[in-house]
Amino acid sequence: MTRSLAEPGVGPGVGSVAGRGRGRAIWRGLDLTKIISAAALLALLFLVATPVGSLVISSLRSTDTGAFTLENYVIAYWNWSDIQALGNSLLYAVEVTVLSAVFAVPLAWGVSRTDMPGKGLIQVLTLGAFITPPYLGAIAWILLAGPNAGWLNRAWMAVTGAEHGLVNIYTFSGMVVVTALYAFPYMFVFTSDALDRVSSEMEEAASILGSGGMRTIFRITLPLVLPAIIGGAIVVFLDTVALFGTPAIIALPARIKVMTLQLWQFFEFPVRAEAAAAYAIPLVLVTAALFAVQRVVLGRKGYIALTGKGGVRRPTVLGPWRWVMFAYALFVVGLAVLLPYAALAQAAFSKAWGLGFHWANLTFGNFSALLADPASRETILHSFTYSAASACFAVVLALAAAYLVSRRLGRFTKVLTALCMAPLVIPGIVLAIGFYSAWSPPPLALYGTATILVLGFTARFLPIAYVNCMAGLRSLNPEMEDAVRILGGSRTLAVTRVVVPLLKKSLVGSWLLVFIPATRELSVAIFLVAAHTRVIAMMMLDLSENGSFETLAALGFVLLLATILIVMVGYRLVGRDFMLRRS
Amino acid sequence: MKLSRRTALLGAATSIAASSSRAQGSGDSAGIQALYAAAKKEGQVGWYSGVLDQPLCDQIGQAFTKRYPGISVSAVKTTSQVAFQRLTEDLRGGTPQCDIFTSTDVGHMSYLIGKQLLVKFTAEGAAGMAKSLQDFDKQGYFQVSWVGQVALLYNTAKVSAADSPKDWPDLTDAKWKDKISFGSPNYSGIVGVWSVAMENKYGWSYFDKLNKLNPLIGRSVDDATTVLNSGERVVAAGNPSSALRSAAKGNPLAVNYPPSGMLVDLSPSAIIKGSKNPNAAKLFIEFLASAEYSQILADAFEQPLRDDVSPPKGAKSLTDVKFFSPTPEEIEKQLPANKQKWRDTFTG
Repeated sequence: MTRSLAEPGVGPGVGSVAGRGRGRAIWRGLDLTKIISAAALLALLFLVATPVGSLVISSLRSTDTGAFTLENYVIAYWNWSDIQALGNSLLYAVEVTVLSAVFAVPLAWGVSRTDMPGKGLIQVLTLGAFITPPYLGAIAWILLAGPNAGWLNRAWMAVTGAEHGLVNIYTFSGMVVVTALYAFPYMFVFTSDALDRVSSEMEEAASILGSGGMRTIFRITLPLVLPAIIGGAIVVFLDTVALFGTPAIIALPARIKVMTLQLWQFFEFPVRAEAAAAYAIPLVLVTAALFAVQRVVLGRKGYIALTGKGGVRRPTVLGPWRWVMFAYALFVVGLAVLLPYAALAQAAFSKAWGLGFHWANLTFGNFSALLADPASRETILHSFTYSAASACFAVVLALAAAYLVSRRLGRFTKVLTALCMAPLVIPGIVLAIGFYSAWSPPPLALYGTATILVLGFTARFLPIAYVNCMAGLRSLNPEMEDAVRILGGSRTLAVTRVVVPLLKKSLVGSWLLVFIPATRELSVAIFLVAAHTRVIAMMMLDLSENGSFETLAALGFVLLLATILIVMVGYRLVGRDFMLRRS
Repeated sequence: MKLSRRTALLGAATSIAASSSRAQGSGDSAGIQALYAAAKKEGQVGWYSGVLDQPLCDQIGQAFTKRYPGISVSAVKTTSQVAFQRLTEDLRGGTPQCDIFTSTDVGHMSYLIGKQLLVKFTAEGAAGMAKSLQDFDKQGYFQVSWVGQVALLYNTAKVSAADSPKDWPDLTDAKWKDKISFGSPNYSGIVGVWSVAMENKYGWSYFDKLNKLNPLIGRSVDDATTVLNSGERVVAAGNPSSALRSAAKGNPLAVNYPPSGMLVDLSPSAIIKGSKNPNAAKLFIEFLASAEYSQILADAFEQPLRDDVSPPKGAKSLTDVKFFSPTPEEIEKQLPANKQKWRDTFTG
């Protein structure tokens, strides 16, 4: 069975049939490909290579004299605790990635390929988890699972009469669970997009040949979407390594050392930003290693799901098991969204949240104050427009780069991959310094503009869009593009009229995967904002620092509702899923 | 020369004519009037703030513009570390984007003075600030513009006033096991200064004793307010301003000012050399010494810097409360070592 999947699907005759139109096609195609390839490379050089390059250079320079030195690497890695922290971070990222897969893959399969009830609900709530800033999710979980006063623990003690609570958030596993709850949507979006592209034919063939349900899932369906699952896993892994918000709230009180927290010490006076850069640069090697692993795992097998033949997707009938599936999905989104937001609601709808729940304490004041304040409204609007612009740029750039790499066009594909992936693993605060020093001063002089924030968000989240586009293109049979070119169409035409329409749902997915994290990105924003370009993440920082938790929780709800609305409109605009047969 | 004298005379005349009104820079001395005239030509001032929050910084900017029409303020509030990092990058690129820099970490100022990157300036209005704040910088480069505070806080729903810790040593009482919270010097400048002060007062063993009680260690000095409200911990060393602000909404929080002294972290502001708007910058520093600025602080539950402005409800004025602060030299010498000692003691 696997063997048949492995066939690349391009018949040997295709190349020779192309004879007639070849001259024109190559002339047209090559030229445009060259132009696009050059443009993509230039854009990436500007967006990624300049800031990352300036980081590499500064990591090799002495803080005082500017002379070439390796001392920053010595400072960064001299302490055993710094190395230990890096080790903890890698372990943390591995555990989060595995747990995310446990959450995401069944949910994606349930939503995309079965007759599970409440699919829309699960999808919306999964995106709700994605929208939740990890910082806010972590605080909500402290309210739920704090060892002394957490709701769950108090409920447990009340019911069982136990002296101690059931769960303690301030542990390594607590941190892993909370992080995975807000990271699994990455994998969900990746995997469900990929599953949506797989037609039911092969599954049906398997069952005709006597394969059972489970066997079909594990031997046919999941292997076909392996590139997407691995892509999602890479994104979750890198994102977790570089995550600051959740560890700051959980790891610090739990006395667990992780890399991003150790990194912060380099920014305390006396500041050694160069050492911070040196500490972060080796993470790029981690990225390279991950891609090597990916190559080994995916091997030379093919993962073509979309061919010229119109596929059809029929939901797998689960029978009574569909309720089990639904219960599991509800359990996951319950942990990620329903419970935490219930905890946040107590604060968001309270005059004084420390008083607990009383009718007299209820108010809509936090919401009305937030929405009535023109500065807050402007800040929210900034975040949404900057993030939307960034998402558009990132998707276009990622698609161009992924296309060139996956179709092996041009000589720079390896360089392109490395460039596209670097920004995700370098912790935001370090990367942001690179952005700031590269773009803020003349000649670019982008200080204080919205452009600098859009560029920063685009570069930061480009890797996510890139990985998703790569997964999408892997599932697409190049035959269809070849057909366009055989018929005299250019490569541009093949991309715009074949690739984009076929991958449109995946591209919307990529767009969301950039848009949503951009709306809550703090570390890049804090370096690039100016007086008139404030964004939500900065507002959240202010609110958390001045103790206005009621308003902060209310802002979390506003963010949740607004983004869900945008997402629903977005999917409506994309239109009906072309492979789903209406029953 | 002639112009400035005329401006000065004109200024003096206006100030006599409209001594009761405070609008449009009137009521200012001749020197400040002259500064205003020069600042007006620049038309703006940029402020990197590591203190307060953005809405408050904006409000201060608007109050400044109202008092000195024609000069707009662009305030960027981040954190002291980020503000300093941005400033350093700006200076490296040769274009400081701010005229004024405010930080909770006096070490930033010493660094900038060492590199000759600050302008010497003493505001006239500084003479009206609380005595204890006046001689913070003996060289005349920076001026206190915010007072970070650390006092004892507790959750009134869980701890009675009688039971609450009154002074710093009370926190080490065994009855507070699993009940205390405070920040970390590795993430907060103010907590760092607190660690220096406590070490000098009680020795490092103070922290060893605290560690035995399994404290919840957060990041910033403000985390205590959230932790106390959640009920996860019930007593804390934290920022009374954010606690009082939260208590004013009805939250069950109260502040004990330790009789042996509240810790204050004097947060300086200074003018960056070679910035675009040197006169407006001086005028803004003047404004930060004014009663109007202190009133804005008090209204936001922050500590006013002048005795002629009453402190917010529940707080005490700097003349009424006993407080102490390590010297800039002590902070610079001890703080880096304390960060390491802190890691050793609390393994975090």
